[in-house]
Amino acid sequence: MKPTIKPSLNPISKLSSVLVLVSILAGCSATTTIDEYRPSGEAIDLNADERVVVLGRRDAGHYETDREFINCVAKRMQGADIGVVPEQQFIDSIYPWFEPRTAPKGLPRLKRLMQDPLIKGQVDQQSVRYLVWLDGSTETLDQGGSISCAIGPGGGGCFGFAQWDKLSVYEAIVWDMTNLQEMGRLRVDSEGTSYLIGAVAPIPLLTPVKNDACTSLGNQLKSFFSSPENP
Amino acid sequence: MLKKLFNKTAIKPIAALLLVGILSGCSSSASVQVTSDFPTVLSEPKPVSASIVFDESFSNYIAQPNKKTVIDLGTAQVKLLSNAFNGLFDDVEFVSDPEAVSGDHKLVIIPSIREVQVSTPSDNYLNVFEVWIKYNLEIKSVDGETIDSWFMPAYGKTPDAFMASKSSAIEEAAVIALRDAGAKLMLDFYRIPAIYGWMMEQQILEESK
Repeated sequence: MKPTIKPSLNPISKLSSVLVLVSILAGCSATTTIDEYRPSGEAIDLNADERVVVLGRRDAGHYETDREFINCVAKRMQGADIGVVPEQQFIDSIYPWFEPRTAPKGLPRLKRLMQDPLIKGQVDQQSVRYLVWLDGSTETLDQGGSISCAIGPGGGGCFGFAQWDKLSVYEAIVWDMTNLQEMGRLRVDSEGTSYLIGAVAPIPLLTPVKNDACTSLGNQLKSFFSSPENP
Repeated sequence: MLKKLFNKTAIKPIAALLLVGILSGCSSSASVQVTSDFPTVLSEPKPVSASIVFDESFSNYIAQPNKKTVIDLGTAQVKLLSNAFNGLFDDVEFVSDPEAVSGDHKLVIIPSIREVQVSTPSDNYLNVFEVWIKYNLEIKSVDGETIDSWFMPAYGKTPDAFMASKSSAIEEAAVIALRDAGAKLMLDFYRIPAIYGWMMEQQILEESK
């Protein structure tokens, strides 16, 4: 009599488990689109002693470009040997001319500000050659499902299912602080759905929408600049 | 062993503590003391001398915009405005009483607060905390003649962050509002028509050109 080996899981069950896993993981990835405009296709030359500052726009009424996102983009640029001046350090050094009320919205106002020898002196002292304005936010669009948690002397747990869509939209504008002109624009749209499954313990399946937007925008901005170390 | 650990008598106090912790986390009152430092203003002061009166009610000002929110603004606003006035005038004296003004300075400025307002995400249905500070500057010449009573509103907002406390969000918004007050003062003070007229009269504009 031949020995028979029983498979622990039949092929159809295996396939369906893999499909479920793949669909869950696919649901947790963000879709990111980047639009770019620059007058010339060549990278901007950045000398070793020249630096970049990344600032967030905070003059909109209903949202704020959050500092966490600005720091994330700045860190990605720093990783490519681009000297980046910390946002708060720059704003403090030039107070009160880059506050939400006073920050230049366009190049004509920047040109007027840079005519002030004190302001120009501070910009030059910190070797800031390029300024990157970031404007945008991450918002929750749709949410559905429900999850409820309970706790008692005998134990506790969460049951249910919830999902929500997030959308990150950010625009970056690069200004040359020496020639006082615009060097280019970038726009990133990132969208994804996150899930929370309550099966006694809550299981979060989060889509890093904002992180994806930061990574994509940071990488694209890096390609804007060419430094001697990273041509 | 496990049975002992999870018996009802042991769990009850833990559950009670957990509940108290959760409920205190949901507390909607906020008591804020603004202790931030402010950067020095980047500005060339004009050749104007001024006495600034920070009276006791202003230096120790505690705002209560609603029943659940208290903001101690006194120390921070004196720091901020001292810094801003030093950027506006080349000769400034700070006194705590109008009677203590020396008389050697051409302008006397008495700042006061008309109102402080706060708005939270539960009020405005936005993901931001907002603070408005409405200042009034009583501007007089050294001989006591009123030049202008200038209304100076300032605004600050900060985004709502997951698990961040209401107090720290309101404090941050108040700091931004104070910085905005400094920016408004630096930007608009010499644009006040009455001040412009007074400076023309005093021939200060010609001197500073």
